[in-house]
Amino acid sequence: MATVALLDGVVDELTAICGPDHVFTGRSAVFNRARVPAPFPVHRWEEHIPSAVVLPTSAEQVSEVVKLANRHGIPVVPRAGATGLTDGAVPLRHGIVVDIKLMNQILELDHENRTVTVGPGINMLKLNEELRKHGYIYPDDPASYPCSLVGGRIGTSGWSLIGARYGHTRDLVISFEMVLPTGEIIRVGDGGGPTVRKSSSGYQLKHLFMGHQGTLGIVTEATLELVKRPEAEFSMFFSYGSYMDAWRATGELARSGVATLAGVVLFDEEKIRYLRRDDEAYIPQPESVKAVIACAAYGNADEVRVGAKRLLRIGKASGGAYLGDEISQGDWASRHDRYATPQHGRTRDGQVALMSWHCEDAAIPYPQLPAVREKWHAIADSLRERFDMFDDWGIFAYTNGAFKPWGDYLTEIDIGIWEMKWDDESWAAWVDAKRELARVSIEHGGSISACHGACRAGEVDLVPTELGGGFEVMKTIKRALDPNNIMNPSKYLLGQAYEEE
Amino acid sequence: MLGFRLSAEKPPQAHRVTDVVINRFEHVYEVDPALMTEHVHQQAIPNWEFNRIVENRWEHLAWMHDHFAESVLSGEGLLAEVEAEG
Repeated sequence: MATVALLDGVVDELTAICGPDHVFTGRSAVFNRARVPAPFPVHRWEEHIPSAVVLPTSAEQVSEVVKLANRHGIPVVPRAGATGLTDGAVPLRHGIVVDIKLMNQILELDHENRTVTVGPGINMLKLNEELRKHGYIYPDDPASYPCSLVGGRIGTSGWSLIGARYGHTRDLVISFEMVLPTGEIIRVGDGGGPTVRKSSSGYQLKHLFMGHQGTLGIVTEATLELVKRPEAEFSMFFSYGSYMDAWRATGELARSGVATLAGVVLFDEEKIRYLRRDDEAYIPQPESVKAVIACAAYGNADEVRVGAKRLLRIGKASGGAYLGDEISQGDWASRHDRYATPQHGRTRDGQVALMSWHCEDAAIPYPQLPAVREKWHAIADSLRERFDMFDDWGIFAYTNGAFKPWGDYLTEIDIGIWEMKWDDESWAAWVDAKRELARVSIEHGGSISACHGACRAGEVDLVPTELGGGFEVMKTIKRALDPNNIMNPSKYLLGQAYEEE
Repeated sequence: MLGFRLSAEKPPQAHRVTDVVINRFEHVYEVDPALMTEHVHQQAIPNWEFNRIVENRWEHLAWMHDHFAESVLSGEGLLAEVEAEG
């Protein structure tokens, strides 16, 4: 596909489909839809600017836009909250950005089936404000909870802070409507009607489209799981004198069998050192604190109370020191909204610089966490030694499995990046470092991403290594569903699917 | 009158907490101003604005607890029960 700029008359066609108030080509509209919070080569911004932005209000409009794109050979990139920490919504070949924010309605609240059907542009916080009136919660809780949208959560196959208790996005979205790359509108789920949770009919297409990163179409509606709003919340933070003591205690907590357990997080020494610079919860902690575990539980008050006491006993018996209610409750509450955290990075001489937050994530088996931690920090240290624009903000490991949280861990190294310093040399070094972080994850039996998606520059090069023959299947599916390579072309190395023809 | 009001809103003298952190108000910590001289500069803000930011942060956290559950259990209280039970 060579066509990346809009042909004459296309804007008029888009306007006829979406209406004159929902098509934009102005600088602010297109420049602001070129990037997401993932590290972005700001010195090459123009390479990613879309030619036009549309804000459709129905699946039919989305379908017509996609059909138009097929007729003219124009790339289409869907965009939801644009909070993703991989590059799913970043156009690689310009084209049309389909921004789904106006499709944000609650379409049906089904009390009998305990589901809610929504447009993909709705935000979970706003949805839950409405659901609270009925005693429900939709418990998909990313660190971007106040600003990410349901459509993006599906496009990413997102991860939830309280996923150990309630499941992650793939567990909470029952079915959804997709506009396929050729414009047909279908509904995918486990099978059967839109509210069926478990079916054995045919292929499990819901999981095919989960995490599509815009390469297989655009979500236009979703039916979501409702659960009873929790009567009680419990959070506890324990400190430890060594990372290895905390690592062992993390495993014990995760394997505790407490049914209300929503998650266990392990912060390493570098993370504590980072928090000691700027975070009021950690600054007063003595130097003997080398690692911290956070733990949370939700559910019926009597059940949470019993489970919490068991978790506290484990924390105490494993040599941990309870850090008090102020930190435990205050820090836990802040976890739902990490995008609001001020980003004070430090240059090598200790001066404050405004840095963007970036976290490289992976799924790492529990036994491998200590080894991966050491290798990841070595990669970050090397980067910081060469370029005084990166800052190692530490590593955390978070229970990753839904309902059975003891196996692998969402593991993230947070790296502050002074983005205004980007040039070709530092960007290339960063991409190399990302590839090395991913290589370590795979070598230790993990996955490149548990949470964000694996289509970021650098690490994406190793997706074929991680998936093996599965990547060949991905290419076959992409070519079959998107014969004209319209949907988010070149993302996830899927341009290769067409080179072989 | 205005001069009097402005002087009353001037933050109190800072004291050092760690080698990179100072403190002017109880439980409120600030980056050492010496570390904010090259790339980012501290702003002088009156006490009322300082306190408003801190209060807003606590309101936000309390709102978040209330948003996710009907009640919050105290770890300190439960730990006391655990220790009493032996």
